[in-house]
Formats: sequence, C-alpha cells, structure tokens
Amino acid sequence: MNCAELEGRLHPFLDGELDVAEMSEADAHVTECPGCRGRVAREREFRQLLRRQPRESAPPELGERIRARIGRSARWAAVRPWLAASAAAAVAAATVLLLPALRAPTPLVSELVDKHIAFTQMEEPAELASGDPEAVARWFRERAGLRVTVPDYSMAGIRLIGARIAEAREHHASYVLYEKGHTPLSIFMVPIPGREADLPGTRVTYRGHEYVTLERKGYRTVSWADGQATFGLVSMLDYDALLECADKLRAGRAREARL
Amino acid sequence: MARRRLLGWATGEDRRGEFEEVALVHLDALYRSALRMTQNRAEAEDLVQETYLRGFRSFHRFNPGTNCRAWLFTILRNAFRSRWRRRGHELVAADAATLDAESESATVDGAAGHPEDEFFQTVLHGDVDRALKTLPLPFREVVILADLEELSYKEIAQVVDCPIGTVMSRLSRGRALLRQALGRFGREHGYLKKPE
Repeated sequence: MNCAELEGRLHPFLDGELDVAEMSEADAHVTECPGCRGRVAREREFRQLLRRQPRESAPPELGERIRARIGRSARWAAVRPWLAASAAAAVAAATVLLLPALRAPTPLVSELVDKHIAFTQMEEPAELASGDPEAVARWFRERAGLRVTVPDYSMAGIRLIGARIAEAREHHASYVLYEKGHTPLSIFMVPIPGREADLPGTRVTYRGHEYVTLERKGYRTVSWADGQATFGLVSMLDYDALLECADKLRAGRAREARL
Repeated sequence: MARRRLLGWATGEDRRGEFEEVALVHLDALYRSALRMTQNRAEAEDLVQETYLRGFRSFHRFNPGTNCRAWLFTILRNAFRSRWRRRGHELVAADAATLDAESESATVDGAAGHPEDEFFQTVLHGDVDRALKTLPLPFREVVILADLEELSYKEIAQVVDCPIGTVMSRLSRGRALLRQALGRFGREHGYLKKPE
C-alpha cells in the first residue's frame, strides 16, 4: 500500500472497518512511512477528542415518563380488539337480520388453502427460515405476541422449514411450514374460537379427538378448534399423516398449557 | 386481558415487558444523540419519547436477534427529520446528493498549519457540540453515530438508509468540516494564530 492508497482508506482504517488483508497492508505501510504515521496519529487523537466528550445520561424522569406512556399504549392495545369485535358483532347481528342469505362467508379452511398455495409458490415462503421448533416459537412470541406450539415431526421425516405471520379473518395468524420430501405441509393457527361443527367437511375421530377433513383444490385439510383458536393443516400428504401431525400438535399444546 | 391470554395470545403487557427489556437500555444513547441533533433539552426529551412510542407500536415488525440499537436510531432519525421538515427546513435527498458529490472532490483540513497538540488544547468545553451544529445534517448525523455513539459503518448505513460507501465519504467529509469549525473557534478564543 502506498501513501495515496492509505489516504483513501484512512477513515475505515482508523475505524477498524477494513478487511483483515487491507488492515495489515495499511498497518505495514504506516509502520514504515513517517509521514503517514503522523497523519494517522493526528486523526486518532482527533477521534479520541470526540470520544472524550461528556456522555450525558437521560434525565431519570424521562425514563419514567416513557414507561408510563408505553403502559398506556399497551393497555389501549389490549382493549382495542375487543371494541372492534363488539362493533363487528353488532354489524354481524344486523346483517343476519336483514340478509340471512349472505350469512355464510367463505369457509375459513378455503382461505387457508388459498394461503397455502400462495405461500408455497413464493420463492421464500418463510419469513423466518429455521428448522428449530424452539426458535420458531420464540420468534412468534417476540414478533407478534403469539404463543404457538411448534411440534417436531422430524422422526416422521417431516422437516421444519420456517414460519411467517399470516392474516386470516382480520387476525394475525401463525403459519408454520414443514416439508416431507418435496411435499409442503402448512399449519395455521387462527385465534378465533369456534366449535368443530362450524367447520364444513367430514367429521372424523382420531385418538379420541374430533377433526374435520375437507378437500379443496386438490389439497387435503384437517381442522379443529379448541375453544381458544382454530387450527388448520393443509397439504397433499395423506389423511393418516395429517391426522397424526394434528394429534401431535394437540398433545404438545395440551402439555404447554399445563406448564 | 384474561380472555386474550386464554386465546393463547400474549397480552399488551407481555409485549410491553419484552419491549422495555430490549429497548430501554438504549435510552441514554438515544437521548445524547437527540440532544446533539436538536441542541435543545426539552425537544430532545420529546423526540426520544416519540421514538419509543413509535418503536413500541411497530415492535411486532422488529426482528428479534437483529440490532435493536440501530433499529431505534433509525426511528429517532426519521422522527427528527419529519419534525425538521415540518418546520420548513428543506432537507431532501437532492441536498445530500449534492453534498456527497462535493465531498468526493473536496479536501478540508481545518488544523492545517497548526501543531496538533496546540490545536487540541484549544478545544473548550461545549465547542464540539457547537461545531457539530455548523455541520449540514447528513454529515452531522454520521459523525454523531460513528464518533460519539460508536456505531459500525453497517449500522450507520442501516440508520441513514444509504450504502456503506456513502457513509464513508460523509464521515470523512464530516470529520474534516468538524475539525475546520473547531479550528475556527480556537482562533476566536484567541488560542490559535490566524493562518498567515
């Protein structure tokens, strides 16, 4: 490295932002060139002058004020969905009275099938690409405040690919993507309580639990609701595999609820 | 709230706890920078408060594991710039582009002709903040982030939303301008001789 080259890299050199090779070349030049050594020393001293500036702390009452504002905002955020829900319920009641024929919207499961198709066609279907169930669960919790059970199906050769936050029925829903070979499996959790009877399809019982199966657009779906949320599995995998996955998810969720 | 918990969803309170844990540790750094940007305590406090509220509201978009400090600085900078614009200050991308072009060609050396130790002895308390104020905003912000808050080039590039190369040239120009301004104050204080 010569003097001109060093001059051009002076700031990244001093800031430690050169790569290892350039760093050692610059170092070598500075060691043997008195002119550049002086230049570097002056710049370094200037940098230190700036770093010696008093580092003030925020006034303590500012922290308190911010905490209080965030607290108010958090409480309001908790109330808002219920206000919206009661408003929606009022509209729904009115709609049922006036237009009973329009009462049944697209089944939730159809919406989930459409999402499965859309997501799996994306180049990167997962917002968070991870094969670690715990990391995925943590991500939902931190990212959207969702408590999601992410089962490990690796024993059955079903690989966890990742996750994203989806929207369904105007709620943040969790979307977890798995793959068996090249066949994707999507698992949705939508935080709307419902009863199995509300889901269209064939009712089946598997290991003592009731599920609803339905085929849409060539995809098989297994869905159920547990009074807290509605779950839907969408895939081209066969029903036995889907029911087994559903059963594992249910068992995992029950286990987490007990903890 | 109890019903939300039953649904298996974190409440606003949970989210609040998480946010406070990861974000409030940067309060001092944000406050210092806000103070240096605004040069006004009441306004700096207001700006930091706005930053945290905006941050909390968009916390669901924050990717855990990524850099919370840089994320908060980005929000602070955007909040500052919208206030700045609301007050009729013109700060458009074109300004920064012109300044960047100038900084490519210009070389400034404020301490030229003065022995370095003499130069540093003349810097009085408050001079650095006063000198920062004379810098155009695009330079002021990168100098504050790099030299006073010690963010990496990558973090600064994220905060000011431009390539690392631009960060480097703004930083080099900004530091030179800062040095020049400090030299000027030194002459005003009578400690440095006027260049002949």
